[in-house]
Amino acid sequence: MVLSLASPPALDAVDWVALAQFESGDWAFVREQLPYLARGFVVTLLLTLTSIVLGFLAGFPMGAIEVYGRGPLRSFVYGAGVVLRAIPIVVILVFMFFVAPIPLPGGQFAFDVPRVGSVSFGRSAFLAATVGLGLRSAAYQAQIFRGALQSVSGGQMEAARSVGMSRLQGIRHVVLPQALRRSIPGFQNEFTIVLKDTSIAFAIGLTELFARADNLFTQRTTATLELFLFISLVYFIMTFVTNRSLDYLGDYYAIPGGDR
Amino acid sequence: MSDQHSGTADGTDTSAATASGTEASDTDTASADAATAGAASQPLLRVEDLQKSYGDETVLRGISFDLDKRDVEVIIGPSGSGKSTMLRCVNRLTEFQGGAIYLDGESVMAMNDNDLRRRVGMVFQDINLFAHLTALQNVTLGLRKVRGMGKEAAREKAMDQLDRVGLASQADSYPAELSGGQKQRVGIARALAMDPELLLFDEPTSALDPELVGEVLEVMRDLAEGGMTMLVVTHEMGFARRAASSLMFLDEGRIVERGPPEQLFDDPEHDRTAEFLQRLTTISEEV
Repeated sequence: MVLSLASPPALDAVDWVALAQFESGDWAFVREQLPYLARGFVVTLLLTLTSIVLGFLAGFPMGAIEVYGRGPLRSFVYGAGVVLRAIPIVVILVFMFFVAPIPLPGGQFAFDVPRVGSVSFGRSAFLAATVGLGLRSAAYQAQIFRGALQSVSGGQMEAARSVGMSRLQGIRHVVLPQALRRSIPGFQNEFTIVLKDTSIAFAIGLTELFARADNLFTQRTTATLELFLFISLVYFIMTFVTNRSLDYLGDYYAIPGGDR
Repeated sequence: MSDQHSGTADGTDTSAATASGTEASDTDTASADAATAGAASQPLLRVEDLQKSYGDETVLRGISFDLDKRDVEVIIGPSGSGKSTMLRCVNRLTEFQGGAIYLDGESVMAMNDNDLRRRVGMVFQDINLFAHLTALQNVTLGLRKVRGMGKEAAREKAMDQLDRVGLASQADSYPAELSGGQKQRVGIARALAMDPELLLFDEPTSALDPELVGEVLEVMRDLAEGGMTMLVVTHEMGFARRAASSLMFLDEGRIVERGPPEQLFDDPEHDRTAEFLQRLTTISEEV
């Protein structure tokens, strides 16, 4: 569709048939390019998963360390979280791609695609994006988990200790199961944020869904609205499905009668 | 956490020994004497000159008493008098700075705190049932993880305990589905399942609606009659009169008076005791 800012022509001057063909032509373009966009969709999906998993694996121990840890380890985790949460994601990604890769023995750099024989594939934007999005997500997931751990009343741990459980047993069997349940709503939020922020990997040249839509748009500037409407719909569906799945997970693990 | 605890204990012991070496050795002889005199005459619980402070605030100023097997001691006293703190010193949920506590002749400071708590059960004012577990699982958790019992054996034992508090039919209910009184009875079953030698009750009915207090007290009376050794902080004077073998009035971190309940009720030695008891009775009558 073309939006014209010029004064509207008289009604009888509009060639309605041509306009209709023109519009369907832009949608047809989107349809033609579906396989191309689908590859971007797969990259977006994979990047979301790898980033969320990395964020979870690093973030939940970080949250536990903030609550139960002490000494330099706790200070380090706390400090890393503060830094990661303070920097814009686009800066983190650019940093990961252009600055962080250190030379490795063998002439390659961190985040390079492993060489096959003497063939080099260069640096993987996907790896750099996973590490950037994953670490930032870890910093946020740590906070979700920290809050959930702290929301379990101290009496629960006392009761666990009072029957002879060790502190570790109390954390594992009493505090953790309750804290994980209470993390689900916050985690839901974080999941959708990471999903949408994968589009920022566009800045380091990763051809995920948004980058591919952008490529197409430069090829055919009249299809802007169609392309971006279409990928918005795809993002919406992904977010919606994710949220409903996590709702289901929350309901499934909900404690009958409420959790207090 | 336990490292910190034993650190405090060592520190206390050393300072006590250097301050008055004779006193420390006296204590040793006394407990040795008690041991040689035979298990029958040895109190199950001996509290000696117990002192505890939180920072600058002294909560317990030297408390000493013995508790024999099958005794039921009811502790009363105004808010802030140190009742709960004293109870928590016995199973080391809180640490104390001075004095000693012996369970069956053995200093609690010398014991592993998990072992100690396996032998000394506790029932809380705010109940603290594990919120994510059913009534049955609340009771089996300790049996499985602390006593290492198998699933079936733990289940069987837990069902017996729930039956004992009249809640076998609610075994699969979650805490949020139970009334306050039922929750507290599960709390008692959870403590009983570990076969404790001594049960501590920290105001077990204070958080309950008045109409639910009776069912909990009934369970406690049954336990007392069954020979359970109990240390009970409560202001339920009916329970004290009927079930206590001894009543202790605590004020400002000291035992003001201690004796058989009838004596404290009818002929207290101290005016403070009389005043406090009268206030309690008046309040319950007004209610």
